[in-house]
Amino acid sequence: MFWPKKKDKTGANKNNLNQLGQGLILFDTVEEAIQAEKLVKKAGYTCALVAPPPSLRKGCDIALAFNLVEQTALERILQSIPYQQVVPRAGTAPLLDIVQVTQYPRHVMVKAGNMKITYEKESGLIVNTSGGGCPDIPYLHIEILGQRLDQIARPRELGHTLCALMLDRAVEGALEIWKGEEIQC
Amino acid sequence: MLIIAGIVPIKTLPLLEGRVMKERAFLRIGDYQIPATQGTAAMISAALAVSQYFQLESPRAVVAGDIGRGDGSRLIYQYLIQNLLQLKPRVLALHYCMPDLELMRQLYEQVKLLDPPPVLIADAASMYAAKAVGLASAFDVFTPDLSELAFLADKEAIHPAYIDKHLFESCDIKTVPEFIALAYENQGAARYLLVKGKADYIADKNGILSSIDGPDIPELECIGGTGDTITGMVAALIYKGLNIPDALKISAQANRLAGAIETTTPATRINEIIDRLPQVFKSSLKREIS
Repeated sequence: MFWPKKKDKTGANKNNLNQLGQGLILFDTVEEAIQAEKLVKKAGYTCALVAPPPSLRKGCDIALAFNLVEQTALERILQSIPYQQVVPRAGTAPLLDIVQVTQYPRHVMVKAGNMKITYEKESGLIVNTSGGGCPDIPYLHIEILGQRLDQIARPRELGHTLCALMLDRAVEGALEIWKGEEIQC
Repeated sequence: MLIIAGIVPIKTLPLLEGRVMKERAFLRIGDYQIPATQGTAAMISAALAVSQYFQLESPRAVVAGDIGRGDGSRLIYQYLIQNLLQLKPRVLALHYCMPDLELMRQLYEQVKLLDPPPVLIADAASMYAAKAVGLASAFDVFTPDLSELAFLADKEAIHPAYIDKHLFESCDIKTVPEFIALAYENQGAARYLLVKGKADYIADKNGILSSIDGPDIPELECIGGTGDTITGMVAALIYKGLNIPDALKISAQANRLAGAIETTTPATRINEIIDRLPQVFKSSLKREIS
């Protein structure tokens, strides 16, 4: 077990991770964990190798601690490295997977967690997004507004945060409904 | 001074601090134009609409470009930490920012040095950070929607994406009073809450103070920025001198009326709603606001 004290590229001391709303990424092997740390730091994100609490330990004895809000970005960075799962360090609740749908005469609003997307039934055009609070949400709003659901770059590809991940789930739910409606037509 | 701080979705925008002016569909801060779209720009626009209507001094904005990496967010936190004692805001409203718990804690250390203390308002991820760092009760106003109320009520959650599933599913219009009580019990609520939903609720630690349920415009929920405009009006009305519960009630009412005075569809954009606010103040809320 080691706790390096030097500062990383972002200037944050690793002990600050204890204060950042931690998430943990669990790995099968130590090699994968170390490789993941290198990749994440190279991309400019704050992270540290830590010992997961016994209740969360599933594979090897090292996990990668990171700012949980940046989960979307880290999952994208680690596409080439197998990892077991991402878990919040505090609390036990898993990531929300509930999708709720509200019908309007010409539109459908799909809500996933705290994020909502609304599209036009006939065309599949995205007419609004709402909810959320992370700093990529205003950017994603502008990027996908006015585009067809199946033609957008997905929020999980463009975004960095948990709100982006929730918006992506809403997009996924909207796509399923819209394609289902297309088939019925 | 009313300060509104938050990011705007322009990657290259540097840190800006200054008085805000409206230029058609844009906001002007110094030499820069910012589109008045969903997010902090919508919040500032609504605060500006209130300020202009009552001929108050314009809000001061502290904004920086950030599309999710947190770089602009950190610039905003650092600027406020270094300059808050000179700025001496009477109302400080924190909005879209990367929830950095350590910087939020440092900012609050500076807030504590201000005498008189500013009215502290948080919405969006600034509200998430304030709750996650254990400072919720140090804030005067939070403006959550229902899913965010479930987050405030969940003792363990550090982001609304990780709320207990049972809490998320059971938080609806019928259970709002219980969730408000739970949020206060778990130290997750500010001194006042404005819970936005089919009915809007104003509450404090003793329970619900008032509610607004009409006009009912369900389409408003689809429109990105309608929560931002409420919080912007709240900040400006408190700055005008209204007491906090009145400012919350009038802002929630104004938003609904702005949705009702012209046709509103799920495709209506937030700048259309903002443009209707002066008419709402003039025709429907003149007496309440005065």
